[in-house]
Amino acid sequence: MTPHFVRAIIMAAAVSVVDEEDYSFLPIIHDIIKCMDKDSPDVHQELNKLKTKIQEAREQISAMPGIDMSPALQDNKLRTLREQVRTKNQLLQKYKSLCMFDIPKPS
Amino acid sequence: MKGETVMAAAEKPTKEKLLSTLDDIEVLSRELIEMLALSRTQKLPQPGEDTQILELLVQRDKEFQELMQTAVVQGRVNQEMQTLEKEVEKRDTDIQQLQKQLKEAEHILATAVYQAKEKLKSIEKARKGSISSEEIIKYAHRISASNAVCAPLNWIPGDPRRPYPTDLEMRSGMLGHMSNMSTNGVNGHLPGDALAAGRLPDVLTPQYPWPSTDVSMGILPPHHGNDFGLEPPGHNKENEDDVEAMSTDSSSSSSDSD
Repeated sequence: MTPHFVRAIIMAAAVSVVDEEDYSFLPIIHDIIKCMDKDSPDVHQELNKLKTKIQEAREQISAMPGIDMSPALQDNKLRTLREQVRTKNQLLQKYKSLCMFDIPKPS
Repeated sequence: MKGETVMAAAEKPTKEKLLSTLDDIEVLSRELIEMLALSRTQKLPQPGEDTQILELLVQRDKEFQELMQTAVVQGRVNQEMQTLEKEVEKRDTDIQQLQKQLKEAEHILATAVYQAKEKLKSIEKARKGSISSEEIIKYAHRISASNAVCAPLNWIPGDPRRPYPTDLEMRSGMLGHMSNMSTNGVNGHLPGDALAAGRLPDVLTPQYPWPSTDVSMGILPPHHGNDFGLEPPGHNKENEDDVEAMSTDSSSSSSDSD
């Protein structure tokens, strides 16, 4: 295992932001390479971890709502919906505030 | 604005990009691991290829992370859109309800206006064909004075009087006289020829004559003294006067009354 490989992977892994959730696969790949380098029997375990993580990512992507369109298209739709709500509110307000007749009560 | 929409529509959906990037990561990571495994066993030189794959892998991984952040943001936007859609639905329901009420009000108003117009037409029609109330009351008096609507108070079964001119009364009237004028003379008749003349014999003269007045002949309206119970039996001068008036006066009652 050439040193620059390991260095590159570590650097790349350090760059990945781990704020809320880690979506990077580099740490697992780094672990696999380390195990291969050490001829560790855990290499298969690490390989399975990678496979599982990829599969889980696929399932997560399939379940995520709102990503069936591009961000730009979604923004357009959001703007349209906001406009619709505003227009309908205005219309309702206009008709509800029309002048009403005073119906004289029967004496 | 339209151009932006077209471009937005042309851009690939985030889900597609994510799955594509994930596939690339899978392929690249497998290749890298296989390459490293081969290089360990065979010790074959791979000039630059390993670096290339690694660089690609790192790049794809970075892309994937950015796309996942975008997907999370899109998820939040999607929630807002769902809230807005529910609000739009609610507004639509309110508008439909308002529309229904306005339609109902329009129907009620249209019916009321139509009925009012019909009423006005009736009023106008009545106004054009108006009759003086005095005339109507006069006619009512005449009709009732002839006992045509109600029997006299002293009428009993067996009384020959009827609310219409009987056969004998018609014969003894002016028409009957006119048809028998040539045979019986102008005024009188022989006693024995009473029946032939079409007149009742004296013995059969009704005690209580039923006045045979003709409204259309324009006689003067009867006095109230002629009403039930006040009329003396037999022919009286007033009835004869009425007959005279009937025979001579052919003008309409309205001209008399006014």
